[in-house]
Amino acid sequence: MDLREEQVGGVTVVQIKGRLDSTTSPTLGERLSAMLGAAKARIVVDFSQLEYISSAGFRVLLQAAKRADQNAAKLVLCGVSGKVRQLFELGGFLDLFAISASRDEAITSAG
Amino acid sequence: MRKPPNIVYGVEDRPPPGVTAFSGIQHVGLMSINLVYPVLIAREAGSSPETVVQIVSLIMIVLALGAILQAFPRGPIGSGFLCQPVPTAAYLLPSLLAAREGGLALVFGMTIAAGLMEIALARGLRFLRPWFPPEIAGLVIVLIGMTTAAVGLRTLLEPGTAAPLGPTHALVAFVTLGTMIALNVWSKGVLRLFCVLVGMIAGYLATAILGGFTGVDAMTLGAEPFLAIPSLRHPGWSFSPELVLPFAVAAVAATLKTAGNVTTCQKLNDADWKRADMRSISGGVVADGLATVTAGVVGASGVNSATMNVGLASATGVLSRRVAYSVAGTLVVLAFFPKLGIALYLMPPSVAGAALLFAASFIIVNGFEIMTSRLLDARKTFVIGLSFIAALAIDFYPHAFRNFPEWAQPFVGSSLVLGILSALLLNMLFRFGVRTTRSLVVEPGSIDAVAIEGFIEAQGAAWGARRDVIDRASFNLAQSIEAIVEGCHPEGALTIEASFDEFNLDVRVSYVGPPLELPEKRPTNEEIMESDEGQRRLAGFMLRRYADRVSSTHRGGRSTILFHFDH
Repeated sequence: MDLREEQVGGVTVVQIKGRLDSTTSPTLGERLSAMLGAAKARIVVDFSQLEYISSAGFRVLLQAAKRADQNAAKLVLCGVSGKVRQLFELGGFLDLFAISASRDEAITSAG
Repeated sequence: MRKPPNIVYGVEDRPPPGVTAFSGIQHVGLMSINLVYPVLIAREAGSSPETVVQIVSLIMIVLALGAILQAFPRGPIGSGFLCQPVPTAAYLLPSLLAAREGGLALVFGMTIAAGLMEIALARGLRFLRPWFPPEIAGLVIVLIGMTTAAVGLRTLLEPGTAAPLGPTHALVAFVTLGTMIALNVWSKGVLRLFCVLVGMIAGYLATAILGGFTGVDAMTLGAEPFLAIPSLRHPGWSFSPELVLPFAVAAVAATLKTAGNVTTCQKLNDADWKRADMRSISGGVVADGLATVTAGVVGASGVNSATMNVGLASATGVLSRRVAYSVAGTLVVLAFFPKLGIALYLMPPSVAGAALLFAASFIIVNGFEIMTSRLLDARKTFVIGLSFIAALAIDFYPHAFRNFPEWAQPFVGSSLVLGILSALLLNMLFRFGVRTTRSLVVEPGSIDAVAIEGFIEAQGAAWGARRDVIDRASFNLAQSIEAIVEGCHPEGALTIEASFDEFNLDVRVSYVGPPLELPEKRPTNEEIMESDEGQRRLAGFMLRRYADRVSSTHRGGRSTILFHFDH
């Protein structure tokens, strides 16, 4: 898995490429946790290049969403489509996260 | 069945009466292009003009019956779709042979035999499914589209002495095709629904304005009575054992074409289409065979479901089976009004050619979509690629096949027949060596998730499995191994076994260790976040939901999970 970060205005966009499983999700978890530790952080996670997400990946996302709530931060997901979207639906996660249709929309929504 | 967004009226919908009526007329307009086939056959047998008109009238009644039979939604007869028959090129060559050797009596007798062969083939289609996978159905549709396009091009580029190639001919073709395309692409509502009918009327008007109709056309039209009851008088029936083979090949081609057309109708009507419904296909072939038997009995030539009309329905988005009844009504009216039938028969080649090219575009694209719905490995690539080349060879180098022995001529006389036979034979050949069960051993200490997914992907391609099923199996395999290794701490290697037939994909994962829990209820978000156990239960819940069926066994310390996917 590759993580790439980019600042767009006051929003940090995290692009995930590859697989999010029990081996790679701790890395994402640590990174999101560090970013969401700051008060009123604005984070967009872009899944458009994600190939696979397992239960370990969903656990990390749930934990990140909880931390965002606690710190009045904003966490918005985008690029959730195709196979990955099916898995979000399968696990009952579509309604649990703020999901935007596009990256630009997600940045606007987070900002 | 979920209606796709581009479809205006699905098979079960009831369009307004005006839309139903005009859609029927539009379909008949396109169908009438194929009236040339029975005319050619009758002329080959040396029939009088009266007999030719009689055959055209009778075949319209047969086509009306065929459209109604095909639309039956239940029971052993009918596909349930708007998938009406037309006089077909598939029976043209054998019928011309029969006409030369034994006159119309032999044509009618052999047509009955061919229809019965189609009905017999329909009964066995379910068992033949592994030999007739979707990529071959798609290829058949593409080849039919190419044949339709070839006839359209020939009609446009070699129109004959009655309408020589020239500026008038080219302008009428341009007006006809341009009107159809413009209305289909840039218009909405009624104009899009009737783009072919409006295009054909524009073509007729352009021909009349530019002086494209001849005095002979006017005389032919004038010679026919306004109202006449179709006569059932005909010279009887005869049978020739020598003609069984060419008619059998034509019956196989007609069966495959109907199967392809019905598959396309299923796909057009269902946004979530996954696999061919064999009951509907079998019923469709029975209806097609019955229509051909009826044609032989009453004194007409063989018919077959019309791919170009499926293309028309796809282009306009009107797929309601009620249109089939409108088609039938229009045909019956035409059968009793010979002037109208002859007016359609006299369609200028530039109008007919343009309409054929319009329909062929949709047919070819539908065929490609069906072909690529499966994963294609090297075997499938050769089945499709070589068969496509074989079909093209006949069109590019027809002289090379003329020296083949007499018995082989039915097989090499048409690009459609050779392409289909080639695909069936190559598919049979390449099934050898494709193992239906494959296994992989994985060491818990060296899990390579990409290699595991690669294993199921490669097998899926070799089996020609559907992409969506392989995607689901691939996730279940990767997620189950991840959860087992993390939570069940297996002793020794895990064994993965995948087995496949046309209807089922089963993936088994077995290991020595406690079974993985596959709960029916999703763990709460707190359970997932706060413990590894919650995360594993989420994995088990997702695994259970993604497969069509799961089972878990634990015997003698060894656990086995079976994921079953319907195919």
